[in-house]
Amino acid sequence: MARDPIAELVNQLAKLPGIGEKTATRLAFHILGAPASYARDLAAAIIQVKERIVLCSRCCNLTEADPCIYCGSTRRDRSKICVVERPTDLRAVEATGEFRGLYHVLHGVLSPLEGIGPDDIKLRELITRLQDRDDGDPVDEVIVATNPSTDGETTALYVSRLLGPLGITVSRIASGIPMGGDLEYTDKATLGRALAHRRTI
Amino acid sequence: MELVHLRVRDFRNLASVDIAPGPRFNVISGHNGQGKTNLVEAVYVLGSVKTFRTQKNRELIRWDADRAVLEGLAHRGDDERLARIEVCGDRKEVYLGDLSVQRLADFFGTLNVVVFTPDDLSLVKGSPSERRRFLDRAIFNLRATYAGDAVGYDKILKQRNAMLKGERVDAVLLDVYDEQLALSGGRVASARHRFVEQFSARFAAAFGEIFGGLSATVTYESPWWDRSALPETPESAPRAGRILDRDDALVSSAQDALRAALARRRQEDMRRGQTSTGPHRDDLRVELESRSARTFASQGQQRALVLAMKIAEVEFFESERGFRPILLLDDVSSELDRARNRFLFDYLRAHDGQVFITTTHRDHILLEEDVVAYEVEAGNVRQVE
Repeated sequence: MARDPIAELVNQLAKLPGIGEKTATRLAFHILGAPASYARDLAAAIIQVKERIVLCSRCCNLTEADPCIYCGSTRRDRSKICVVERPTDLRAVEATGEFRGLYHVLHGVLSPLEGIGPDDIKLRELITRLQDRDDGDPVDEVIVATNPSTDGETTALYVSRLLGPLGITVSRIASGIPMGGDLEYTDKATLGRALAHRRTI
Repeated sequence: MELVHLRVRDFRNLASVDIAPGPRFNVISGHNGQGKTNLVEAVYVLGSVKTFRTQKNRELIRWDADRAVLEGLAHRGDDERLARIEVCGDRKEVYLGDLSVQRLADFFGTLNVVVFTPDDLSLVKGSPSERRRFLDRAIFNLRATYAGDAVGYDKILKQRNAMLKGERVDAVLLDVYDEQLALSGGRVASARHRFVEQFSARFAAAFGEIFGGLSATVTYESPWWDRSALPETPESAPRAGRILDRDDALVSSAQDALRAALARRRQEDMRRGQTSTGPHRDDLRVELESRSARTFASQGQQRALVLAMKIAEVEFFESERGFRPILLLDDVSSELDRARNRFLFDYLRAHDGQVFITTTHRDHILLEEDVVAYEVEAGNVRQVE
């Protein structure tokens, strides 16, 4: 059972996304070469993140305080909810500065092939939240910002069917040509979609 | 279209190849297992990224190398493009000139190839999936965006089937999948329908030349889609690019039909745990004298039918795109009888275009002029007089 500590660290690091055997080895030797305080701080930071970060009871975002800073804020537009796949997507939307509403984080998309059904992502939490509109937030629009992948589209359509009966407007973020982009170099699928979803000016 | 230079590194058993193929016939001879097919496969992969043989990336790389590199300089009129594909681990990296290509749709069309191998000879008597693959490849060559619809349909189909096989079926999610399947499947089926409709006349003509006196037809079989009420496409002269047109009425007819069929078969699909109808079950029906060629045609007739399908594919491509694709014939002569073989070479001589032909017997290749000859031995390719 006494496993070589270096091999064990490499093994653990290699489980991280985007980290292969070689990088893991490099990181392990870096940690080994650094002062002992660094290793203690790193270990403590990893443990803290697991102990102190919880899911917001309203929007399912990762947060230290519940409700999270968005749900707890008095300065946000409480009539709009932006639905995203992951907390990192929330950060991306927030960074635009264009959206001042609330969020809902699904923590995944529907994919029966991977065994992910409607009960495996935070959909019920979204419905519950919207059903309590009398007590809770006066939401009139849900903006679905899942990725423009096949499963992201499926999930967006699913959300729209679920919310239809509740009388809430469900919208989908537009997809198209990047700002500062060049039509000539835009791939055909994106350009085709941009044409299909054109708007009057 | 013409491949003017081909560079291969560590691809299958080919360590290093640099050749400047001729504009017409490139005859590649050698014994079995020396690497002839690998050479035409290299050209095919440069055009299609995928191979027509095993799909395992690792097997494309020479045994002691980390990476295989294919590079081809293609000319089309005054247009010159350099395509490069590097196979490494599980991935393929695709480049146009020095630019890395992120979306394959941008790459396709750089090098258009049509391949004919002994495996194709079972096209008529083989399974419907082989004929669907023939259709999909031919349409894809004409309209690269077709791949997006076909791949999208496949992904949703797999998700739908996975849910049907699972313990719990969510009715709302099934509605969503059905709608997505209807939209993409309708585009796939209408493209195939339109293709076959225009392809059939060329096929009939080609077969008439090979096997005079007998008539042959192809039709797209799609039991879920009643097309009897559709207006007939006018029999005007085919103009280039017609298949590229989106026919909205046709597409929505197919989408409505598929939507209705999925709804009708829902109970059965749930019981069987799979999607029982749609473009993934369709077929290309080949008839000889109004009878199923799959059942009634002799082996010789079946091969003549396949040859006619391939020739019609090339002809149709040329009429739609305005240039001829590169033709790859892998050891086909040995499988055709003498009359059919002679027809094939008469046809090749009478039409322009670059052709790569592999053979174990140079005397089967009935070509004397415009030939650049290569010999392949143990993975080494050399030009011979």
